Amino acid sequence: MMSLLKTIWGLLFRLFPCPAPTGLREIGHPGPQSPVLVTCNFDLTIKRLKKALEGLDVWLLVAQSGGVNVWCAAGGDEFNTHSVVSAIKTSGIGRKVTHRTIILPPLSGPGVSIAAVRKATKWNARWGPVRAEDIRRYIKTGFRRDEGMRRVTYTLTERLDTALGSLFPFYLLGGALFALFDPSLLVNYLLVATAAFLFFFLALDSIPGERGIVKAGYVALALLVTLAITEFYHPNGSPYRSSLIIAVVMIFVYGSELGGLAPHLPSDLDPFLARLGVGAVGNVAFAGTVRTELLNGYRELTYDHEICEGCRNCFEICPQGVWRMGEDSKRAILADRDKCTACRACLLQCQSGAIQAKKRDRNEPAGNSYIYL
Amino acid sequence: MFSYVFMKILETRPRSYDRNINRASLGKIRAIKRQIANQATPGSKVLEIGCGTGELAGMLVAAGCNVEGFDLSPSMVGAARERIKSEGLGDSFTVHNAGVDSMDIFADRSYDTVVSTLVFSEMSDDERRYALANAYRVLSPGGKIIIADEVSPRSGVLRFLHSMTRAPALLGTYLVTSATTRPLDDIAGELTAAGFVVGKYARSQGDSFAVVVAVKPAGDKNDEPA
Ligand SMILES: C[S@@+](CC[C@H](N)C(=O)[O-])C[C@H]1O[C@@H](n2cnc3c(N)ncnc32)[C@H](O)[C@@H]1O
Ligand code: SF4
Ligand code: SF4
Repeated sequence: MMSLLKTIWGLLFRLFPCPAPTGLREIGHPGPQSPVLVTCNFDLTIKRLKKALEGLDVWLLVAQSGGVNVWCAAGGDEFNTHSVVSAIKTSGIGRKVTHRTIILPPLSGPGVSIAAVRKATKWNARWGPVRAEDIRRYIKTGFRRDEGMRRVTYTLTERLDTALGSLFPFYLLGGALFALFDPSLLVNYLLVATAAFLFFFLALDSIPGERGIVKAGYVALALLVTLAITEFYHPNGSPYRSSLIIAVVMIFVYGSELGGLAPHLPSDLDPFLARLGVGAVGNVAFAGTVRTELLNGYRELTYDHEICEGCRNCFEICPQGVWRMGEDSKRAILADRDKCTACRACLLQCQSGAIQAKKRDRNEPAGNSYIYL
Repeated sequence: MFSYVFMKILETRPRSYDRNINRASLGKIRAIKRQIANQATPGSKVLEIGCGTGELAGMLVAAGCNVEGFDLSPSMVGAARERIKSEGLGDSFTVHNAGVDSMDIFADRSYDTVVSTLVFSEMSDDERRYALANAYRVLSPGGKIIIADEVSPRSGVLRFLHSMTRAPALLGTYLVTSATTRPLDDIAGELTAAGFVVGKYARSQGDSFAVVVAVKPAGDKNDEPA
């Protein structure tokens, strides 16, 4: 019962934390040779993982992430090297299995340093696949990662998932406001909010603009045009006026923080707040915790081909496919810098210092720099 | 009846943490630290789990002890290092930035006392088990562990009252820090499971706060150094 409530809460409020107990869980009947997978303590993630792993015998090690999903928690320093090291060492997993291989979720790349985990635990940490559905194949093929397992997707289901998760808090908030002040407009509000959000998330890639805030601008424009039209037909004041205005504001709020919603777009709010010197708002960390270099004005990631040691870390961890490994040089190549969303996973994982955060210098030619945060 | 769950908020500002937690507890936390320090044996070696700003460590040094402490939070460790300078604690108090999971860096049978105030309620079940197992390992035979923390009252009525008084503070704390604490349900049982013999167990604040002292028995055969 409690678990069902938690699932529903998790789905509708998927943007809010929902912690589950940390520690070791058994999936099926794992033995001393069974694989060990690490995940966060976000209730919904654990449930989905269990479902995706049905029929397998594996150990699932739930590490502290403040009840937040892997990617967001890693970006906000809630799911970090310490979470994973502490889980490995204090759970006693070393007494349950004879091997020393641990599989980490690759979206923890911005927070969990695989090299530091290896050093602190002496376990052979490796990245698993991004999506839970691929874990079965990954294990069956002897922990082999193919291209699809490295990259994030944004499928129809995932879009609906984020649209619903984004909408629900606004249904409640706006719903309460309308119910209080003008219940007759409640249905209009729900209609407008749903239409605007579904359109925004489903059509995201077709809306012009590179950044979320620009895309939001176009959607806002469309909403304002709609407003003008409805005003035209209702000279005494459109019943959609308040709903449409709220929708415009909402679209801008979400559009500026798409980094946390659409996996292939960067956040606009983060660097903006950092520029103002704001690192966190309440308990929501923006640039303040792991991204302190942002606050210090280090807004540029640079890559130095000469320093690269060819460890492949950046190539393995980048969820956007920005990196390629050179065929003969064995060094990393910046293959598609435009796809970078500034998640900074490669910065944390690069051990040679080839990838660095620097202060932006306008006089210097663009050179190796590949992203402005 | 009182809950310390809001300490997670106070912790985010190490500089004012000691002042605030003492105010909020009406001086109780400092009094408990004093009491622990007063009962310390001069010249003994103490390990402090989650030493925070080192307030207790400072008192223990004043009582003639040699203290080694560690804390997970870098800013707390920073505050503790400032204290070492400002109070001139010198080599008598050393502090590491490490979590409970790093307790394997401390050598077997090398401390007379392990202390920890308001830290166990912040740990997961696994962390507590690990911390107690390691505390047992690093203590010399006959050495003792002292834990002061929020606990669940034993009677159902008090437990209910406690969770009710706790609820608003818990919600507020969670909204501000996304973190929470859990009153210890059975710290005596956990100590026993780790091999300790539980001694003095003083309860206060409507049975919701406890100071527990437990001893590592002197003649433990399983604990001969390898
Ligand atoms: C409420 S404060 C108490 C500080 C100090 N013991 C006192 O009583 O003034 C809790 C402290 O425990 C530390 N802490 C929490 N979990 C820890 C862990 N797993 N390992 C080490 N320290 C931890 C926190 O960083 C924080 O400084
Ligand atoms: S290249 Fe960009 S998107 Fe890829 S890991 Fe680095 S920061 Fe993240
Ligand atoms: S850039 Fe860094 S992470 Fe990438 S291959 Fe070279 S050394 Fe490894």
